[in-house]
Amino acid sequence: MDRGGPAGARRHVLLLPEYLKDASKKMKSGLMFVKLVNPCSGEGTIYLFDLCLQQLFEIKVFKEKHHSWFIDQSVQSGGLLHFATPMDPLFLLLHYLRKADKEGKFQPLDQVVLDDTFPNCILLLRLPDLEKLLQHVTEEKEVDKKKYYKYSKEKTIKWLGKKVQQTVSALKTNNVNVSARVQATAFFSGDPFSSDKEEDYVCYAHGLISDYIPKELSDDLAKYLKLPEPSVPLPSPPSKKVKVSDEPIEAKEDYTKFNRKDLKTEKKNSKMTAAQKALAKVDKSGMKSIDSFFATKNKKKIEKI
Amino acid sequence: MESSEEAAVEKCRVHLRPGTLRDAARATLHLLPCEVLVNRPAPVDRFFTPAIRQGPDGLEVSFRGRKLRGEEVVVPPGLVGYVMAMEEQGEVSMEKDFSEGDEREEQERAEPREALERDFDQFIGAIASFSRFTLWGLETIPGPDAKVRGALTWPSLAAAIHAQVPED
Repeated sequence: MDRGGPAGARRHVLLLPEYLKDASKKMKSGLMFVKLVNPCSGEGTIYLFDLCLQQLFEIKVFKEKHHSWFIDQSVQSGGLLHFATPMDPLFLLLHYLRKADKEGKFQPLDQVVLDDTFPNCILLLRLPDLEKLLQHVTEEKEVDKKKYYKYSKEKTIKWLGKKVQQTVSALKTNNVNVSARVQATAFFSGDPFSSDKEEDYVCYAHGLISDYIPKELSDDLAKYLKLPEPSVPLPSPPSKKVKVSDEPIEAKEDYTKFNRKDLKTEKKNSKMTAAQKALAKVDKSGMKSIDSFFATKNKKKIEKI
Repeated sequence: MESSEEAAVEKCRVHLRPGTLRDAARATLHLLPCEVLVNRPAPVDRFFTPAIRQGPDGLEVSFRGRKLRGEEVVVPPGLVGYVMAMEEQGEVSMEKDFSEGDEREEQERAEPREALERDFDQFIGAIASFSRFTLWGLETIPGPDAKVRGALTWPSLAAAIHAQVPED
């Protein structure tokens, strides 16, 4: 095989779940990348469908400035790293159910999931156990053995509340730092999670889920979870200002320098300070979007695969 | 017309050849802390690989006269890394047809060809796989704070976000 490829040939570096490799033994086709609507932004986004396993995967791209790959005997610019992770199709179905709800009546699913812009949405109808999934977000009626569905906001909010709860558990087991304050105190207490509050986790999880639902629904969910109003651009209270100002953070930096016995270069320390500052800034509200895992706003930049 | 062209892209499906996931040979990957603005063959084994040394705290090499420090990054458990390439439009892969010949026929009998592939669809295949890569930083080792390490924790969190919620 020509590994290097001709000049200009794009290589995509992608992480896939291992079981897709095993499942591929049984299938000849049915694994495909398609463009579907992004349930948060409404824009087109690439998803991966496995019609053998009947599963939907979302594709996220890690993209950081100034990176490139060496892949065997070739160079690939950009340094992109794609991730394919299983996605709950209900987020996508919800987009169509909410749209259809404007007509305010019960409808069969094949009349709900229709899209001129993204016709591949019909693939969603091939996923298994749709009826069971839809119970979480719709009222249903059965007439002549045919099911009719209608979006239910109450059920949806409750379902999203459960999603937040299970995300909170995952944040705890994965030891994700959910607040800037904790990030800073960790340097003194030695126990990074001692002062994490439940509310910080809920805020953070709400932020993650909000990347899969429209703004309006995200706001309703925030009310349901009784989250404090987001403290948007308004001048931040003095206590917060102190937290993000340079001085205390640098003091902590010094502390770690003496605390950790290995001597690090000046450069590394200043770099960490910058990273901490960035963290302190981003985490102020406790809410975090998925993009933070991928360093840049990449939703719009997702490469066509 | 631009609009009709775009519409075609929206309708397009990029089929991933499942067989290529099994056959992909191991590749060696390095993630460099600089942008090389081309995609093309490069004599990595002639200039880069022989210059890698094991330093006191990690790997060391130089690229274009700048010192790089690196460390191995392992792909998270349950995941496999692949390098993929689009097939040229209209490319017929004879090799694949022969090697997978009987297997393919067998499957076709079991599972009739579905109307999933259309004329305007494209194909992509894995050309290599990897389970680890070397992450390089300029002058310093990228370390645990490297953003790519943060991204690698994403799959475990995504699993929780997208897991089905229990019924009432």
